[in-house]
Amino acid sequence: MDDEEMTVETKTPGEEHGQADPTAKEVVLSLEDLGVFYGAFQAVRNVTLPIRRNEVTAFIGPSGCGKSTVLRCFNRMNDLIESARVEGSVRYHGVDLYGADVDPVEVRRRIGMVFQKPNPFPKSIYDNLVFGPKIAGYRGDLDDLVEESLTKAALWGEVKDKLDQSALALSGGQQQRLCIARAIATSPDVLLMDEPASALDPIATLRIEDLMDELKRDYTIVIVTHNMQQAARVSDRTAFFTVDVRENGQRTGVLVEFDDTPKIFTNPEQRQTEDYITGRFG
Amino acid sequence: MTDTRSNFHQQLEQLEAEVLSMGAYAEQMLADAVAALVTSDAAAASAVIAMDDDLDNRYLEVERTWLETMALQMPVASDLRLMSVVLHTNHSLERIGDQAVSTAAAVEITEGFPTHQQMLTIIGEVGNRVRAMVRASLSAMQQRDLEGALALPSMGKAVTKLNKQLIGMVAECKDNERQLEWAVRMVVVARNLERVGARAIDIAEQVAFLLSGVFREFSADDWDPQSLLLEDR
Repeated sequence: MDDEEMTVETKTPGEEHGQADPTAKEVVLSLEDLGVFYGAFQAVRNVTLPIRRNEVTAFIGPSGCGKSTVLRCFNRMNDLIESARVEGSVRYHGVDLYGADVDPVEVRRRIGMVFQKPNPFPKSIYDNLVFGPKIAGYRGDLDDLVEESLTKAALWGEVKDKLDQSALALSGGQQQRLCIARAIATSPDVLLMDEPASALDPIATLRIEDLMDELKRDYTIVIVTHNMQQAARVSDRTAFFTVDVRENGQRTGVLVEFDDTPKIFTNPEQRQTEDYITGRFG
Repeated sequence: MTDTRSNFHQQLEQLEAEVLSMGAYAEQMLADAVAALVTSDAAAASAVIAMDDDLDNRYLEVERTWLETMALQMPVASDLRLMSVVLHTNHSLERIGDQAVSTAAAVEITEGFPTHQQMLTIIGEVGNRVRAMVRASLSAMQQRDLEGALALPSMGKAVTKLNKQLIGMVAECKDNERQLEWAVRMVVVARNLERVGARAIDIAEQVAFLLSGVFREFSADDWDPQSLLLEDR
């Protein structure tokens, strides 16, 4: 399979025939011909897609397709891996996130991240929330910030009377919502979620999914998930990635299709998407 | 190709096969009902009416299996579209069975009435044509034949034309009150048969949806269903 065969349509409704969609929301993040390398190994190539404001965008695909790698480019988490190198452009409101004058710490304040396994600090619930804002020099009322962040993360009612208790005493689902509240507390613009519910029980998972619908009113969300039904339930748009295996055995993640989520799950354009989501591989 | 959902896909194939088999059954009911009417065969008409219980039971069983499959398997993409086809087709076939029963019931109601041979010939012809429509729609489903599905509306036009011809003949019975009553009842029967043709078109629309992802009525004013052939993958 050559590169041309893997070229992906990244249209949004109304753009099919070269017409811009007047109802399309503002592009917050955009990838142009993104490639990611770990040393000589190319993990991802030729990814181009927009992430739009106040939408949930889901990345789905088999293991090794590069969806988490792409997600981590949005807040320069790959910088923490010494051999990692990024090609193409990653833009945030038009600004090149990998520009020489861009501070990765500021990037991560604006573009927060929630990980697969809840990772609260071994501190009180309250301190988990104020830690980031204090470092960032927050000058407002911290009590108000804690209440607001926990309320947005649908956790306030459960913890308001035990803010001084250890965050590690919370259930897994509560810990993950605390991590979401912690990410919110630094007033981000975008929330990146890497398998945020895969370590949680079904009820806690549904609470997180329900919460995402609330959160997208204030934030732009990108979620990586192995759970296709979760992607279908929570997202507005879905990007399907797969692994392209070259003749020399090199495996590289590529974007196959990016479209509105209902379109992806009822009538995808690409055969590869159809086969993957219906459980047919080959 | 490795199918990681082979059990589910097997269930889906069985569900589709059952609906296609029900289609053959409903088509037979229709053929027998029209033949009973044309030959005034009360026993054959009763047999058609008795067949409907089987069709209804099969309809209910498909509905139950369909609901269970949706709840447990959560199909997507072409699997989801096929589930939609199964649901709608199952309902259409149950209704076609009911139309066959209505046709058969007319045999008893009109027993002993003076008939009109030319009208009976037309009803026989309408019956043949709507049966052909049912068969064509189900064949299009089975063969995944978009072109075949798109042929249904033109088949329906011929039926409408015959029905208009039939209505024009009612006036020929105006001098005989009982024959006039018979003729009016035959117009109702022909109208029922025309509805069978409409059901066949509904099935064909579902087939087009399955194959193209476009869910529209063929009769919509603002598009040409044949355009689907240009986009056919």
